[in-house]
Amino acid sequence: MLIHWKSHFLWALCLPLLTISRSLASETFEEELTVRALRDGKVASRFSFTTILDGETPRNPQNLSVEDTSQHYTLFPLTLGQILREYAVTEMHLSLNAGKWNYKRWGYPDEADVGSGAELWAWMGDGGVSTVDERWRGLRNGLAGLFCASLGSLDELRTTSPSFSFTPQGGVPDSPFPYAIRHASLPSEHVCTENLTPFLKLLPCKSLSGIASLLNPHRLFDADWHGMGLHVLWLPDQGVQVRLTFQSVADPLRPSANKRDWSFASIFDRTIDRTCPSATSSRVAVALPINEAYSIHPQPSSIEQDHAIFNLEGQNAPLDVSMQWAAEFEYLATYFRTAETPLSVRRTLQGSSQDLGKLSVFITNDGTVEIQAAYLETMPWIVQFYLHTMTFHVDGVPRADLVHNISYIPPIPHSRAMTFQAVLTLPSRSTVHLSIDITKAFLRYTEHPPDAQRGWDLSPAVLVPLGPGAEGRGRRIYTPTLLVDLATPDFSMPYNVIIFSCSLVAFIFGSIFNLLTRKFVVLHAESN
Amino acid sequence: MPPHIHPEGTTLRDPSKLFHQTDYIRRLIIASYWVIIILAIPLWWQTTSIERLSLPTSRVHAQAENKLRFPVHIKLESVQDASLPSALRHLLQDRIRRSPQAWKGLDVRVREVRDGQDVDAVEPADSYTIKADDGIPLVSQRQLTYPVRGGTLPILADALASLLVPPIDAHRVAQYSPRYRLAFTLLNEDAAAGKSISGWDISGAISRHLSPILSGLSVLHNFTIESQVQFHAPLAFSPTRLDKGYGLTPEDLTVFVNSAEWSLSSSVSNDPVLHFIVFIPSASRRPLQILDAHGLPSSSDAFLLPQWGGIVIYNPPPELDAHVQLPSSALNAVFSAFANQLLALLGVPGLPREMRTDASVLTGWQLDALLRRRALENAEGAQDTLESIVKLVDQIENMPVGQDVRGDVQDALTALDKMYASASASLNETLRQSADALTLASRAFFNPGMLALLYFPAEHNFAVYTPLFASAMIPLIAAAIREVSVWRKQRREAAQALE
Repeated sequence: MLIHWKSHFLWALCLPLLTISRSLASETFEEELTVRALRDGKVASRFSFTTILDGETPRNPQNLSVEDTSQHYTLFPLTLGQILREYAVTEMHLSLNAGKWNYKRWGYPDEADVGSGAELWAWMGDGGVSTVDERWRGLRNGLAGLFCASLGSLDELRTTSPSFSFTPQGGVPDSPFPYAIRHASLPSEHVCTENLTPFLKLLPCKSLSGIASLLNPHRLFDADWHGMGLHVLWLPDQGVQVRLTFQSVADPLRPSANKRDWSFASIFDRTIDRTCPSATSSRVAVALPINEAYSIHPQPSSIEQDHAIFNLEGQNAPLDVSMQWAAEFEYLATYFRTAETPLSVRRTLQGSSQDLGKLSVFITNDGTVEIQAAYLETMPWIVQFYLHTMTFHVDGVPRADLVHNISYIPPIPHSRAMTFQAVLTLPSRSTVHLSIDITKAFLRYTEHPPDAQRGWDLSPAVLVPLGPGAEGRGRRIYTPTLLVDLATPDFSMPYNVIIFSCSLVAFIFGSIFNLLTRKFVVLHAESN
Repeated sequence: MPPHIHPEGTTLRDPSKLFHQTDYIRRLIIASYWVIIILAIPLWWQTTSIERLSLPTSRVHAQAENKLRFPVHIKLESVQDASLPSALRHLLQDRIRRSPQAWKGLDVRVREVRDGQDVDAVEPADSYTIKADDGIPLVSQRQLTYPVRGGTLPILADALASLLVPPIDAHRVAQYSPRYRLAFTLLNEDAAAGKSISGWDISGAISRHLSPILSGLSVLHNFTIESQVQFHAPLAFSPTRLDKGYGLTPEDLTVFVNSAEWSLSSSVSNDPVLHFIVFIPSASRRPLQILDAHGLPSSSDAFLLPQWGGIVIYNPPPELDAHVQLPSSALNAVFSAFANQLLALLGVPGLPREMRTDASVLTGWQLDALLRRRALENAEGAQDTLESIVKLVDQIENMPVGQDVRGDVQDALTALDKMYASASASLNETLRQSADALTLASRAFFNPGMLALLYFPAEHNFAVYTPLFASAMIPLIAAAIREVSVWRKQRREAAQALE
């Protein structure tokens, strides 16, 4: 009887195990490389590797307390899936960039996240057993381990919630609890091979076949600008999408001053020898020059809207796309008189003292229409704004009426970062000047980084054009980073302080002690 | 500097008549300085010393003497000959005497039951029954049907020995953990080289082959299951070339796993992982076979890495299309190999060869033997760890011992106490308590707080204080010496004056 009951019990245990094994979602992997020559002779390339987990939804944070379903993946990277499900992340974007994207010469990048250093932002639902901030910390540490990057230092001092400028790119599942954004950036992060190696391991074909075989660290990290990105979205009609991107700006003019011809072999020092068998689509798109004589080799599979398309399926011979121009390259001053983007931003930190300063931002609208743009400034607490000193000039004329919807979250010393968001109206063909006085904090001895004399890198500001009709609407423009010089102590100070104060204490002690215990005697001076 | 001239017409006061210039007051002042310094020493000592809470050392040592003992009751049912139970008892005792290490912690009692009537009235909860019945030996949940006769008794005793204390290859078995992560990986050595396997019906295979085992073991472990497919998993070495295909020598097997290139590690959890890998050799290296010590291809295509996981090599037949799912026949073969490897890694004992069973997965005999062995291991591990902590704290005087370490040590001791209390009542409870004790003891041992001041030497402490202490102490000592010598001189003079 007991045995009978036990076997029933075993079956009952078995059942949930059978049901939680999720049926295999179908997965697709697509890879694409786009190459375009820039006006200044450089070549921008963008690798994009997209994996879609069909019909899958992000983990509901309210189910964090119950055992998760088993994760079975074919193309989707398991190590990333573990992090996403463990912390119930709905959407996340990580970018690791090196260099300064030059909007004026290069135009908008193919991938918007080009801020220098590391940037991570994620949308997560609330209502779980662990709060959004706890999961944000876990996500940071998980990705830091995965990418060998110092993302762990994207701590509370750098975390902000700029929900206005960083809206979800995909969908968010319905939930009775609100979704929250966490954003942090680390401009001083150095991006190098140790970040690329784990990046390549997330790809189904690694760097051994397909387009990814062009990702040669020796050449990529030698480029004028390079950056990698990881984007996880939920597309309600498709499923969970993971997109890994790599962008670089190579300079073919470096070896030869007037030949801007390029080929895979010259930019990457590699060719595509084998196709990736697990990719459903694998293609190279090359932007074709307009009004210039050129030749492209080999013959493209098709031409779509000024782009030559090379499909890699069924490709047997190694593919080495190359492009030659008939005319030699000349630097023409007229090229750069007009910017590639209607908006350009210049941001500086002024003032020589270690106490006060002034942040000054010049935004130029070269377009013919007025643009509304959201401006976001996030600062660690070490730089604090005097909000009442904010001025706004258009070509030298004060126009305070052009700043609306200011939202300001003041910093908390030693913990929270500052967030400043405003909507600016940028009149056509004019330069606006936003300035604000700042004060620099005096840090505690232990709060200084090991290289304290170098100063602190400040995150880039972000400008997002809004409203209908604005060119580049919703595309984020990152300003260059800033370096702030704070009052730094002499780090041998504690020992000096100990020695000085000890000497002083010993001196006072000695004198008082001497006075208290001295024996006075009267000596009669011999009168002459 | 001109000498201080006393104004005319005033009388000089003798300084020694001033209140604070009397010898008594001056000596009191000096003495009070010394009293304050001496009183302050304990305070200084207290504020600069490392927090070292006392550990329950005597309890740890007493606990280490304790040995876990499980009562094992065996009932002999429907036996014709009344002398058989005592004969079996003797035979078993003989075996216990011969290998005490294997039978460690077991108190075996054999009793006789006749016509459903127990000889002893007391009925222990978990007892094993041996039913005398002719035919092939049959193992059920906690019952063994066996042709018990005088002649078969020694064989029965051997069978009981292998059921109660099955021989286990201890270095293969993964260390006990309440939760394991089972990571299944389909590795294509090089999918781009042609004819690779692009996927597998993993959920179906797991529910067919592994779910019964996992639910049978649910009293011991919880499992998290995950799987991935990789398309480029190069080997770190080149296999040996054979006449037909390639071979892996026994040395190759030890370095087979290429952790640098195969992304197998987990990024979020610290649970121990058992890996199960299907390796599909590159199209240019098929068939890939495992070679034996003589360099001849062996019939097996699977091997086990102790405490790490299992690997199966699958050579797709040449007629297979390029980039297909793993065929179901191959999937079944692979997963039955995985099931055996999982049992071996978790230390699940097999049944003696000559016996049949009617249980679907595991019999009570096997599960109990495993529970007993795991509980013994955990208890020993916890006791050893606790003793090591006490020893370490004793040896290294700079090691801080905080409240959390002491709390963990105390909780581990409590768990061990509870474990001993439950040893005769419930095996599951005993295992749970032993696992708790081991977890707590390890957490105390690896507490990061214990390392904090390990390398902050006393010299450093003194170096910081010397500038103050040296310069303040010199006048104090000088004044004390001077006063003592003056006092002694005065006494001598007083004594001379008396004479």
